[in-house]
Amino acid sequence: MNPLKTTTRHAPTGPVLEISGDLDYTTVGELRALVTALTLQPGQRLVLDLTGLEFCDSSGITAMIIAHNHAQAAHADIALAAVPDHTLRVLRLVGLDRIFPLHPDSDAATQP
Amino acid sequence: MCRAGQEPGPHDADHDKNDKTPHAAFAALLEDSVEELYENAPCGYLSTLMDGTIAKINTTLLDWLGLEGEAVVGRMRFADLLTVGGKLYHETHFAPLLRMQGEISGVALEIKEVDGGRIPVLVSSVVKHGSSGEPQLIRTTVFDARERRAYEQELLRARKAAEQARKEAEADRTRLQDALAVLQQSLLPSVLAPVPGMEAAAHYRTASPDRLGGDFYDLFPINADRFAFFLGDVCGKGPQAAAVTSLTRYTLRAAAVHDPDPVSALTTLNQVLHERYTGDDPRYCTTIFGTLDPDPTTGQVTVRLASGGHPPALVLRGNGKAEFLPTPGGLLVGVLPAAAFSATTTVLDPGDTLVLYTDGLTEARTSGDRTALYGEEALLEFAAGHAGRPARHVIQAFTGLLDGFGDGLDDDTALLALGVPARTPRTEAPA
Repeated sequence: MNPLKTTTRHAPTGPVLEISGDLDYTTVGELRALVTALTLQPGQRLVLDLTGLEFCDSSGITAMIIAHNHAQAAHADIALAAVPDHTLRVLRLVGLDRIFPLHPDSDAATQP
Repeated sequence: MCRAGQEPGPHDADHDKNDKTPHAAFAALLEDSVEELYENAPCGYLSTLMDGTIAKINTTLLDWLGLEGEAVVGRMRFADLLTVGGKLYHETHFAPLLRMQGEISGVALEIKEVDGGRIPVLVSSVVKHGSSGEPQLIRTTVFDARERRAYEQELLRARKAAEQARKEAEADRTRLQDALAVLQQSLLPSVLAPVPGMEAAAHYRTASPDRLGGDFYDLFPINADRFAFFLGDVCGKGPQAAAVTSLTRYTLRAAAVHDPDPVSALTTLNQVLHERYTGDDPRYCTTIFGTLDPDPTTGQVTVRLASGGHPPALVLRGNGKAEFLPTPGGLLVGVLPAAAFSATTTVLDPGDTLVLYTDGLTEARTSGDRTALYGEEALLEFAAGHAGRPARHVIQAFTGLLDGFGDGLDDDTALLALGVPARTPRTEAPA
């Protein structure tokens, strides 16, 4: 079990949330609270950088959907960067790979 | 010179008794003496002859009893001071042990007060032997144990209260588990509707008896010729998930009657879930919904199904092969206001079985590391090993597979098998 770590930085396109460790039932509350507290301007892009994501279960998928809904409510976009294979497999299975723009890394995700 | 307030020394020439020790001097100062200590000690003393006749008793004990010394000394035995129960115990245990061991200590007894009350006491006795070694008398101390008894009773009362609370908590827990089991059962069909020319079997496995699972399935008639089935998994667990499961089941049943097209049914469910649960508390599910159209003349069954984010259905063919029915791109149901669902069709020949499952199966941990999961490839291989067998045998085999995962099964798992029995009776291979 790896603890969840999150870091928020600001790119010209909007906030970039770096998520590392395990995203599961026990840690997801933290991310939910963080995501819903983010202030997004219309037209900005919220990027979830998953480079360090070691494990993600259905609770983690729910957190991504909450982030999606939060961005949409603010008339902002959302994108995922560096999605690990294990999570990409789940995203494909549940059809979310067609909903979230996917980028190889956060540099590509923060291109205007 | 010895002045007031000055401690007299042992060699003080003016002192009336030159041989006094410092201890005796202290005792004199405090107006204490051995006799005084004996009579008014904070415990009772008595000495008895070997037959129990009281020879000497101190004031403390007499005060407790409410008796005068003349009424006791030479007239009563120690056992006469005790309650009936105490007397009995004295006779059967206390006295024999004392005779055998020469001493006995800390025995809880009760003595009678003259006014009928009783005082719990702790009694210790020792036999004094004469110079020639013969037993001479018994010395006994009696400690007042009223405080101690009250404390013990308080402890006992507290323990009984704790025991009662534990029993109540256990009863509450049992009631809750019963309620959960009933609710859980209400989320699953009590029986699978019989489909002409088909055999159906199902299995549901909860990972934890305390938490309502979010997996569901059903099989029911739409009209005389057509049947519908679904199987799915609601995100999360517990009462909230169960509420979504219930809503999902009834929505799908109603939607199927209205329009049995699988994509239409899932679209209706998507709208209902999305409207009901949105924003920061999204509730969604993965589902496969399908229809069955049996052809009585050929024995074939046409299956039309659509998936929203659900692992692909398996088809076990009568020829011993197994394949997935891919439904790529079907989105989780309830996430977006307009969602795409992916449909597919297959025909089940006699001997074929369609198997639906939830991801509790494919996501089962096969080692301590939770990144090592059972997976779809292993499942396909396992399924091929049971291809051509009747639906109930397939479910049995899958149930055995789940048993084998043991603690590796983190999530609930639902299984539904819909098979077309082989036309010619075949000899079953020994299991």
